[in-house]
Amino acid sequence: MSTDRLNEDKSAPAPVFRQEDAGDKFDRMLSQALQRHSEPVPAGFTAMVLMQVREAQEQRILAHVVLRERLALAACIALAGLTVVVAALFPEIAADAFRSITTALAGRGEAFVDRIPQAVKALSGQWRLYTILGAVFGFAIYNLVELLVGDNARIA
Amino acid sequence: MAKELWQQEPNWLSLLRSGDHNAFAQFIDKYKEFVFLCCRRLGLREDEAEDVASETFLAAYKALRRYSGQSELSTWLWSIAYRQAVNFLRKNRRQWQLEIEPDEEIASNKEQGPAAALQSEEQQEIVWRAVNRLPRLWAIAVILYYREEKSIADIAQIMRARENTVKTYLFRGRERLKQMLARAFGEATDVNR
Repeated sequence: MSTDRLNEDKSAPAPVFRQEDAGDKFDRMLSQALQRHSEPVPAGFTAMVLMQVREAQEQRILAHVVLRERLALAACIALAGLTVVVAALFPEIAADAFRSITTALAGRGEAFVDRIPQAVKALSGQWRLYTILGAVFGFAIYNLVELLVGDNARIA
Repeated sequence: MAKELWQQEPNWLSLLRSGDHNAFAQFIDKYKEFVFLCCRRLGLREDEAEDVASETFLAAYKALRRYSGQSELSTWLWSIAYRQAVNFLRKNRRQWQLEIEPDEEIASNKEQGPAAALQSEEQQEIVWRAVNRLPRLWAIAVILYYREEKSIADIAQIMRARENTVKTYLFRGRERLKQMLARAFGEATDVNR
């Protein structure tokens, strides 16, 4: 290495061999002396940084979960507020809408309740079907729990 | 200069970018010495150097996905470390430290001429202390050029300076080192002799 690198011209032809001058020698020795230096690093530094990286990742996940929950809460509040506003501004429309919803639900509910004994009778001999439905239902519940509290559970 | 890890193992860089902790541990082990070197030469105290070094690696971890590979990984990390350290000094209103020379005295050895003296470990320590006595920016430029074998363009990128500025730092640093080493080794005449 020499001071020539300071003024290197990439378009210039390769330098011809010449006797190493004193400046080159000083540069070479300076380079060797510096390269042999070993900078001390505190013990356990790598582990400490890795721990900080993990903590930063957990904080990012936590922030994501908190943001999602806040958005859900905001949506619930906004929906409730919107319902109140609509009921206050257009009471007749709201009353009609609620009446039609409750009538429909009651009708469906009665029909549903009437059908339960028939369904139980029909399915009483179908234990295989029960097993499959139970497994599917369990899987659905598991997915629901994982969706709602999975991130929180991992962080904890 | 030794090959970078990503050159030795092609999958290593993609593992590193994907957030693999083992690859990142290798990355820290490989480059932590550079980062501490940068922090300490810029005048940070021991506890500050440790904080800034860990912040440098955290910043690198977050930015690794955006690393394009245009510059060497070590150059890229040096530039992050340099920026973090300078920002730390700026926040603590100590940027003036970059311009001054540390007060550290260098030990002298008048028995050998500088050229021969640089061979021994003791004399290498004297050279290292002489580099530490240079103004911080000169010292960083000298270390990057002579120790890390970075090009002028790379050093300019790391220090966010013009190439001519870097050349000036190097020229002045080299001349000052010659003077200091001549004094330290008891040479009244030119150190090049």
